[in-house]
Amino acid sequence: MTPILIALTIGIPWLGAIIVWLMGDRREDLTHWVSILFSIGAAITSVLLLPNASQETALTIPIGGDFGDFTFVADGLGIFLSVIAAVIGSLAVIFSKSYMKGEGSLGRYYAFVLFFIGAMVGLVLSSNLLLIFLFWEITALCSYALISFHNDDPKAVKGGIKALIITSIGGVGLMVGALIVYAYTGSYDINNFLANYSTIPGNILALLAFGFLIAAAAKSAQFPFQTWLPDAMEAPSPISALIHAATMVNAGVYLLARFYPAFKDVPYWSEAVMIVGALSALLAAVMALVSNDLKRVLAYSTVSQLGYMVYAIGTGSVYASQFHLFSHSIFKALLFLSAGAVIHSIGTRNMLEMGGVGKKHPLVKWVFIIGALALAGLPILNGFWSKELILESGLKNGPLWLYIVMVFVAGLTALYTIRCVWLVFFGEPRSDYHAHAIGWEMIAALLPLAGAALVSWLAAGRFSVLLGEKSLPFHAIEPLPYKEMMHEILSLPTLVVMAVITAAILLWVFRKKLEGLINGLKSIRWAAENSFGFEAINNAIVKVTQSTAEALRVTQTGILNWNVFGILASVILLLAILVLGA
Amino acid sequence: MTSNFLFSSLLLLPFLAAPIVYMLGRSTARNGNVLGISLTRALTVFFLLVEGCLLYLVVKQALSSGGTYLLIGDEPLVFDGIGLILACVVLFLGLMVTLFSIDYMSNEKGEEKFYALLLATIGSIIGLGMSYDLFNLWLWFEAMAISTYLLVAFYNDEPPSLEAGVKYLVQSAVGSALVMFGIAMMFSQTGSTTLTDLWQMTSSEAPLAKIAGVLLIVGFGVKTALVPLHTWLPDAHSQAPSGISAMLSGVVIEAGLVAMLRAISMFGKVDFNWGAILIGFGCLNILVGNLMALRQTQVKRLLAYSSLAHVGYMLLGFGFGMAFGRFEGAAGGFFHLLTHSMMKGLAFLAAGSLLFTLHLSKQEHVPLTLDDLNGASRKYPVAAFALGLAVLGLGGIPPMAGFMSKWQVLVAGVKAENTLMLIVVIFAALNSILSLGYYAPLVNRMYRHEPSTAVEQGNKMPGLMIIPLVILSIAIVVIGIWPSSVQFLTEQAGLSLLYTFFY
Amino acid sequence: MNLPIPLVVLITILCLAGIGLYCLLITRNLIKVVIALQLIVKGAVLAFILAGNMTGQLNLAQSMALTVIVADTIVAVVGLALAVQIRLKTGSLDIKSLSSLKR
Repeated sequence: MTPILIALTIGIPWLGAIIVWLMGDRREDLTHWVSILFSIGAAITSVLLLPNASQETALTIPIGGDFGDFTFVADGLGIFLSVIAAVIGSLAVIFSKSYMKGEGSLGRYYAFVLFFIGAMVGLVLSSNLLLIFLFWEITALCSYALISFHNDDPKAVKGGIKALIITSIGGVGLMVGALIVYAYTGSYDINNFLANYSTIPGNILALLAFGFLIAAAAKSAQFPFQTWLPDAMEAPSPISALIHAATMVNAGVYLLARFYPAFKDVPYWSEAVMIVGALSALLAAVMALVSNDLKRVLAYSTVSQLGYMVYAIGTGSVYASQFHLFSHSIFKALLFLSAGAVIHSIGTRNMLEMGGVGKKHPLVKWVFIIGALALAGLPILNGFWSKELILESGLKNGPLWLYIVMVFVAGLTALYTIRCVWLVFFGEPRSDYHAHAIGWEMIAALLPLAGAALVSWLAAGRFSVLLGEKSLPFHAIEPLPYKEMMHEILSLPTLVVMAVITAAILLWVFRKKLEGLINGLKSIRWAAENSFGFEAINNAIVKVTQSTAEALRVTQTGILNWNVFGILASVILLLAILVLGA
Repeated sequence: MTSNFLFSSLLLLPFLAAPIVYMLGRSTARNGNVLGISLTRALTVFFLLVEGCLLYLVVKQALSSGGTYLLIGDEPLVFDGIGLILACVVLFLGLMVTLFSIDYMSNEKGEEKFYALLLATIGSIIGLGMSYDLFNLWLWFEAMAISTYLLVAFYNDEPPSLEAGVKYLVQSAVGSALVMFGIAMMFSQTGSTTLTDLWQMTSSEAPLAKIAGVLLIVGFGVKTALVPLHTWLPDAHSQAPSGISAMLSGVVIEAGLVAMLRAISMFGKVDFNWGAILIGFGCLNILVGNLMALRQTQVKRLLAYSSLAHVGYMLLGFGFGMAFGRFEGAAGGFFHLLTHSMMKGLAFLAAGSLLFTLHLSKQEHVPLTLDDLNGASRKYPVAAFALGLAVLGLGGIPPMAGFMSKWQVLVAGVKAENTLMLIVVIFAALNSILSLGYYAPLVNRMYRHEPSTAVEQGNKMPGLMIIPLVILSIAIVVIGIWPSSVQFLTEQAGLSLLYTFFY
Repeated sequence: MNLPIPLVVLITILCLAGIGLYCLLITRNLIKVVIALQLIVKGAVLAFILAGNMTGQLNLAQSMALTVIVADTIVAVVGLALAVQIRLKTGSLDIKSLSSLKR
């Protein structure tokens, strides 16, 4: 049963992708419906997989040679992520029916969305590292294709290529790691590696560990690779919700979680992971505070929340990171989709041109506020529980100064969230926008997510069993029963965090009276608006490469004598090398 | 006896077919006979199919009799894994190119020459793959070179095309002269040019062998487009008819590479240096090829430079095979040879189909620029999709075949368990991403909504032209998802290569 | 002076190849380029004969030399044909003017 379900969960969306691509734009309505049908099919099969979680390899496709056998295993960790991918995927597709109405190239759009859903499911369910890398790159390909979906817009093209290249650079880390695993253990199998990682020499294992950290950082838009995610916001909003908030960017966290047991003893690795997470969380939160673009604020907050997850893994609490991932997927997808509804309705992303949208769309206002409160970590929404769990673990297992940073970031999160809600939904309209109606498909996608953001934490007990007992045998996931979680969270440190969050909210309420303080922080504001110089570094690298390439073109002189000279020169050079080498 | 008969007909058929095709086409074209020229085309396809059947029969024979070889005088021709993979690749791509060229070349004068020379090229590459004698190898190599000289300069009314032909001819001729000197040196040391004899040679007996090795590497390297010797390649690839660009990039330069590997096989045991030279050239090729391609504005020139980079990946694979005895490297090199021939063949054919519909079919001999591609997907969905698939595959993105073959090459590098090789692997992988810097914008252009004026005014694409594009696209994706479907070819070739190195 | 014949041949080979390569590096006339190629190849033909003489395989060497001459003539013919066509189309045989393809 399990093998069939796995094959279906990957196969249904891929089949749908091919069909939708071939259908093209000929019949718009049919294209929408066919995509919805296939995405819901994948969601159903993925949910059906839930009770079948097991540690056994479920499906083996023999390939042989240097590619290993393509194996799939439906363990708790993988299934949980595949359900997120397929279910939120289907909601995003439903949302798109209204959002993408009347757009051209719908076939291409849906084909890549469906292709992505299948690849993401494959990524988390496969237990062969080559296969993981293959799906990893396919998700990057889909993300690139969808970011630059509006190819006529140079910003979209640039954002897409940037995302592709940065995530691929990170992919090199994963690739080298996978090759090392194969070369030293003779198999690509994750379980085999986790059982035998101690046979790999220490320095090679360190290379492997840091290679995977680079891969994870690039994919999850962590420091120092965070620059691609904000630029990816040129994608249509459902794509931002699905790929750049709820699923693909989690792949990095997933990778770290999977391999944590093998790497935790590598010197400095855990520290590096914690610092990467904390730095990303801090820098992104500051940038979110000063950005005026609604989608970019959400993108920065994604980087920041992913930072929490990475930090959690560094502190050794894989469970907390996955729990936060679960909550974050829900509330961030909700935020992006409702932001998409707002943007679709009034036609701008600039928050300074919004204001008072809540009066036009009260329902969207309320679901957005639910998502925002979850993001800020206010009780009793799902974000509260998972974030507290991470902070508890940080206090126990990490250095104190990093804990303080993370608590501070929790305050910042509350601050930028309330600023964002205020600017968009409250006050008076700051430009004469015209609010269009919102389609029922959008509402249909938003309501389940809002409900889940309110109650998903109630599933913590089940979740703990799924992850703790049904994941692969070599996993360091400590199941945390419900009562223990409550006990752990309802303690003194939580009150400290709550106090910080309350202080942040008060800061916003009394912002007029604190102008002196705000003006004092102008330099930080300036630095944050310039993305702390990372954008400049990116541009410099691109420019140096381009000018080197341009300079090198001189060597192609087009004159025959020089061409012959090249031949003679290489004969002489090779002879010289041989003489010197001998 | 039958085995020898089959084997010699496999080698001879293309050379018998070439004059037949030429004379038939020539006699009918003069009278403007449409039926005759169609018959010429059909005959070319027919001969290629017969050649394919012969190949199948020879393989069957070889499997049942435990090997097939032929002795002409003292010079042996051996049917081994390398010959098999080269023959398969050249026949498959040749067939695709022939199908593609039926419409592409239909406006040109001297169409029959094209098919005859194409058959001769295919025949000489098949022979080259099976030659076990240095001099014989050179002869097949020269036959291949001469037929491609004429094909590169096929548009003999266009000065750029003639220029490309001359540069190609002169540089190849210099290379082939160097090869001759190398062979003569080897011959003077051992009194034989047969590979099996040369393998017995030791360096103390043959002091000149090292110099000969350098001359052979550089001589064959001209055709393989090793980096300082590559200057003919972008010109020839961009000026030849697109089908020939596909052949040049897909098999001719690889045939040069195979010839080089055969010619230096006696150094496999000697010491480490020779494999390292291949790896060094590989790195140089990858870097220079990618950087040069980054700023190109003409599509075919861009693809030509990317061929440099891909030869580099093959060189890495073979270098790992030679320097460290890694079987993965040898097999991976051949796997990349195979996938590259399909992907680059597809890229050139797809670019050619757009060049044809946008310019050539209106009798304009101008290059296809990147700007011309804008919005091509609206009007030419299949060609745009095929080109996008091909270039993304070349950039190493799954699920296209290029990903798997690059992977296998890099597996060998890591398995060498050598720090320097690990750096080479990372370097190659990073370069693969650099190549996305020019492939990805190309794909984006084709999916724009605003078409370029060239696309708006383009003609309809002939239906027959689409067939090879579709076949190649499917093949690329199938191999990408199921790499072991061609493993019987690549592994045999890898084994044969390691045998020639270390027998 | 009494030089042994193989040495004389060797010197001739080196001279032919050297002159040919030097010529390829400096000449700008296409016809001269073809002539230079011929010079180098003639050196190679002599090298085959010399090698055959050294190893006592003269008949094999002779057959090789003949084959090389045939193949090389074809190359020369193709080269000259291209040169003629270039002269007809561009009105010049200068290599410098034949550099429209670059970068």
